[in-house]
Amino acid sequence: MYNLLLGYKKTTSKLSEINLLLVVLIFALGLLGVAMIYAATGGDWLSGAKQHFYRMIFATFFMLFIAIIDLRLWYTISYPFYIMILILLISVDLMGVTVNGSKRWIDLQIVNYQLARIQPSEIMKLAIVLALSRFYHDLPRWRVSSIYGLFGAFLIIFIPMFFIMRQPDLGTTLLVAATGLSIIFLAGIKWRLLAGFLIFSFISIPLFFIFGLKTYQRERILTFLDPTHDPNGASYHITQSKIALGSGGFNGKGFMSGTQRQLDYVPENRTDFIFTVIGEEFGFIGSLSTIAIYMVIIGICVWLSFQCKQVYSKLLILGFTITFALYIFINLAMIMGLVPVVGVPLPLMSYGGTVLLTVMTGFGLILSAYINRDSKLPSSKFKN
Amino acid sequence: MSDNERHNQVSINRRAALLGSLGAGVFGVLSSRLYYLQILKAEDYRALSDDNRFNFNITIPSRGRILDRYGNELAINSQNFSLVLIPERVKDIEATLLKLKKILSLSTSNITRIKKNISKHASFVPVLIKENLDWGTFSKLNFKTPDFPGVIPQVGLGRSYPNDGLFSHTIGYVGSPSPIDLEDDKDPLLKQPSFKIGKTGIESSADKLLRGSSGKLKVEVNASGRTVREFPNSNDAPINGQDIWLTLDSELQKKAAELFGNDSGGIVVMDVLTGEIRTMLSMPTFNGNLFVSGITQKQMDELNNDERRPQYNKVLAGGYPPASTFKMVVMLAALEGGFMNPKDKITCRQKVNLGNRTFHCWKRGGHGPVNMREALKNSCDVYFYELSQKVGIENIASMGRRLGFGEKFNIGLNGLKSGIMPDPKWKKLKLGNSWKVGDTLNASIGQGFVLSTPLQMAVMVARLANGKDSLTPNLIIGQNLLKFKSLDIDSSHIAFVQKSMLAVCEEPGGTAYKKYGLDLGQLQIAGKTGTGQVRGISEKERRSKLRRDEDLPWKLRDHNVFVGYAPFKKPRFAVSCLVEHGGTGSKRAIEISRNILKTALIRDGIPEGKKIKSAVATDV
Repeated sequence: MYNLLLGYKKTTSKLSEINLLLVVLIFALGLLGVAMIYAATGGDWLSGAKQHFYRMIFATFFMLFIAIIDLRLWYTISYPFYIMILILLISVDLMGVTVNGSKRWIDLQIVNYQLARIQPSEIMKLAIVLALSRFYHDLPRWRVSSIYGLFGAFLIIFIPMFFIMRQPDLGTTLLVAATGLSIIFLAGIKWRLLAGFLIFSFISIPLFFIFGLKTYQRERILTFLDPTHDPNGASYHITQSKIALGSGGFNGKGFMSGTQRQLDYVPENRTDFIFTVIGEEFGFIGSLSTIAIYMVIIGICVWLSFQCKQVYSKLLILGFTITFALYIFINLAMIMGLVPVVGVPLPLMSYGGTVLLTVMTGFGLILSAYINRDSKLPSSKFKN
Repeated sequence: MSDNERHNQVSINRRAALLGSLGAGVFGVLSSRLYYLQILKAEDYRALSDDNRFNFNITIPSRGRILDRYGNELAINSQNFSLVLIPERVKDIEATLLKLKKILSLSTSNITRIKKNISKHASFVPVLIKENLDWGTFSKLNFKTPDFPGVIPQVGLGRSYPNDGLFSHTIGYVGSPSPIDLEDDKDPLLKQPSFKIGKTGIESSADKLLRGSSGKLKVEVNASGRTVREFPNSNDAPINGQDIWLTLDSELQKKAAELFGNDSGGIVVMDVLTGEIRTMLSMPTFNGNLFVSGITQKQMDELNNDERRPQYNKVLAGGYPPASTFKMVVMLAALEGGFMNPKDKITCRQKVNLGNRTFHCWKRGGHGPVNMREALKNSCDVYFYELSQKVGIENIASMGRRLGFGEKFNIGLNGLKSGIMPDPKWKKLKLGNSWKVGDTLNASIGQGFVLSTPLQMAVMVARLANGKDSLTPNLIIGQNLLKFKSLDIDSSHIAFVQKSMLAVCEEPGGTAYKKYGLDLGQLQIAGKTGTGQVRGISEKERRSKLRRDEDLPWKLRDHNVFVGYAPFKKPRFAVSCLVEHGGTGSKRAIEISRNILKTALIRDGIPEGKKIKSAVATDV
């Protein structure tokens, strides 16, 4: 009997197909994150390390739970889920909670009892991948570069982007844009259209810089361009995080011995700047190993996508992988002083519940797409 | 599987591989960036990290004390009880300040200052609430601190001056460096919070010695500037300031102040063998501690509005006519130049006419015929009017300078005045007109242009008493090598002046005669009185018998001057005493001088002998 939730396969046989190396590496990075948060808080188990540990365990189970759910369920709910999250995102704009000058959160409450404070823009990263995958799965290849195909993809990406930018959240906006663009590219957009779009972007980015950004966002980018300027101001973050990394040298200063970290020179080192703790305490070897683990995880995911035959599965896996990779790229480039400080966490390691849950749900969906690669999704409605 | 789907698969895989290699490229860039930061630039960043981590705090040396000749403390570093507040440990700053306001009687401006300081510094930096608390308040607060979390009583070192301001003019006081001080003096100590430097007196002139030099302390600091750890190193300890020993005798100084009472003026007691200043007091004095702890506007107004000018150092900076004490200068000039036989008499008829001007003697009816010795003993002005015309101003001024008039002595203090020893050249230069004989007459009795400080008068009498050395005064022990130039005045002339001065004090009829003299057995005192005119005396006043100095307002009364030394036979101490507006006759100045010389001699080891019936000079 067809079970919408679990499909035809038995749960045990599904679990046996789960790529164990991927799960182990993900969990290992999570545990490294726990250790680094522990170090970053000066050896305080209760200031984040404990929470991250329990969240990691819960998120791993949640990931496995998502993984065994039949792919057809995800296919079916792709659009409704996207629309639901879009509504939440719009309601953030209308009645969101402002923290640190940004309106990113929404309180879910019944009468006056607060259930949770969620960040719809985070979940949107998942929803947009689901929606785009479904869009291209249903779209015949020849229409990808047609007006219909372009306009549909553009709507799916641009509407949430617009509201995320209004919050304002530059990091997530760029992340969503880059993920969306990558999926369009994967779906097979014509090269000359892509080239045209890129040229258009190069022209419009300066205009966007002048008219589309908040003053503080502009300042961040400007100080990035001149990192020696104003060492205690905005570029202080970059300077201090580079000092932390550089002073780690080849071997690092040893676990719990980072002076930059101990003396609080690197701000936010429990969250966005967690990698500086690795760099300072474990040196070049530790940093490079950590980066290597991330690369292996990404490599496994790309390999998993090759094993799938349906467009939806492939785009789903690659879409989440790209989101994951972009998180890492932006975060690492940011703390190494290669791009401006935009406030993107390092997935799996940074302290923070929503991001962890997003990433782990993404991995759950990747695994689900892989395990259920044989589930037959409805093929494209349009024939050649 | 349709062709379309297969085509899709291949296309997506190809493009995924393309994106994958792009991603690998980005990882390559990130890795090489890590290599650059952590391997190539590791040393630079390690240095920067240490720069972040370590800081050198300046450690403050303790200021040298100022002591009198016997080691009694005149300026000390005393425990200073203060109350500080550490903002981060206080739950409700507003409420805490309100409660403290009642206990400490803080003013609203104090509260504003405290709040301003709280907002200015990081929250762990202690903010001063009040310093210089008295012990009672301090112990009460110690008892109450559990009620005020974050409010901490502290014991620090502050400058304090015992002796109730007796030495304020000499020692001066310390205060916070002014912007000009900070500009002139780059010593990092000056930038330390609550560091004080000398502002006046010895505190200022010997500031470098007293201050010492700063040490440093390596500390580990965190990003917010809080010291996490200290690395003390004995090589970096501060070098404490040196103690300064003064030649002053604090007991004698105390006695002098007692004798002065409420009078205004100044007194100097000098050792006639060494030039050491045993007492130097300007009265009234003020409490230097007020300036250290922060003087209130009301206290400042009180000091400024006192017509006796407590802050003004009359001994060093006052310019007073030496009056009749100057007559010794004229006498010596006459003897040295051979202008007058001391035995020859000049008849005093109370006045001398010079052109259309008349010069008066103080004594109604005149002294009649007097010789040189009698002229000094009775302080006859007419004798000196006549004598000065024979000697001439050039010789008088030259002798005046030899005895210390017009000279600015280096006693290790700033702000000394040179006074005026006038001569024709001086008058031409300063006033632009030529010297008149009348000017000489005025100068001969120490009036007119002649101005001197009580210190100069003390030096004059000390040189006369010593007779051989051109003594210079000294205030700081070890600063003077006690090698003086020769005075180069005929010893018989000196002896004649000395004997005349003895007559002033010890012979009946002398202007400073008192029956029992010093009241120290055979010991005798020699000296000279003076009455410094504050205002011109009109002919009408002179004729009317109504004019009496005591009836005049204080400001218009004459100054009292007395200079002298004792014992007569083996001179030990010289004194000069000036009582501002003390009235004619020098009674107050004589009384104070006589008593201070007596005390000085007793303190020097002369036994207090039994009283003798007759103190008539045997040497006359």
